[in-house]
Amino acid sequence: MASSPERLLGADIARRLQAQFGDDLPEAEERAGQAVVRVVPDRYRELIGTLRDDADYAMDFIDFVSAVDRGEDGFEVVTQLWSTSRRHGVRVKVDAGRDDPQVPSIHDIYPGANWHERETWELFGIRFDGHPQLVKLLLPEQFEGFPLRKDFVLMSRVAKPWPGAEEGAEEGPEEE
Amino acid sequence: MGLIERTPLPNIQPIKFLLNWGRKYSLWVMNFGLACCAIELIATSTSKHDFIRLGVIPFAHGPRQADLLVVAGTVTDKMAPALKRVYDQIPDPKYVISFGSCSNCGGPYWDSYSVTKGVDQIIPTDVYVPGCPPRPEALLHGIIKLQEKIGDEDIREKWSGKLTGAPARG
Repeated sequence: MASSPERLLGADIARRLQAQFGDDLPEAEERAGQAVVRVVPDRYRELIGTLRDDADYAMDFIDFVSAVDRGEDGFEVVTQLWSTSRRHGVRVKVDAGRDDPQVPSIHDIYPGANWHERETWELFGIRFDGHPQLVKLLLPEQFEGFPLRKDFVLMSRVAKPWPGAEEGAEEGPEEE
Repeated sequence: MGLIERTPLPNIQPIKFLLNWGRKYSLWVMNFGLACCAIELIATSTSKHDFIRLGVIPFAHGPRQADLLVVAGTVTDKMAPALKRVYDQIPDPKYVISFGSCSNCGGPYWDSYSVTKGVDQIIPTDVYVPGCPPRPEALLHGIIKLQEKIGDEDIREKWSGKLTGAPARG
């Protein structure tokens, strides 16, 4: 691929990655002007490395690593990359599984991912394989549980249900 | 200090008035700003609102110099031990103003996994200022309420440490 200083459209990035990774990219599309791709865990590191090193993508900045608890569908880790020279970005999603969620760490590709992965680990309980120091970052050491999981019990809500439900707003998690 | 405990002086009305009057207009305040409320607390200390005219002196360089602790902002369970430690370092007599909904009761973080639901679980609190964040005028009102409370107070009881949980002196 020829190097180009131009910004790539989200749809172009999605199409190029799809061509390169084929079936290992079950989802690749443009959403709100930005490429959003889902990759199989085995090729997650390879994809991240390509996005950083390929001159056409030149994603030199890692915006964040976080996760989503999708309930019975398990956890997904979301990584946002950005190219400061090309001014385009990509959002990479990777499934981590439900019972023992884990994905490969990318701290050696982007050192900035180190603390993001630690935070994602302490809040969601997702293990990042190969991470050098997977210990709590922000929570107190004695804290038990993973507070951003949907099944984490909020004691205040056990005593008093989410009041927004009465007004027809979003309902809180069911706790019986 | 010995005088206070050994003589009936503090309970003689004019002397009690004089001592309380002296204390209520010389509150050296310890800033414990933790969130957006701290901005309002600092605004209260600057020239426009200027709580020095009420005798509140900003800001003590450390808790050992302070008389008044204003907890302004969101206290988390991780921060709570540090707050308790600061409070314990303040010499008696000492006063606490809880400034803003978060330090009053958790406020918008009432169901959070990490926020302490009310600073009065950690330290005895004299005045609660509601608001999110409260305006500087609200803090001025809170300070006046605290001064009224100090004016009515029995100084021997206050200094005995019974009210603050500190060991008795003398």
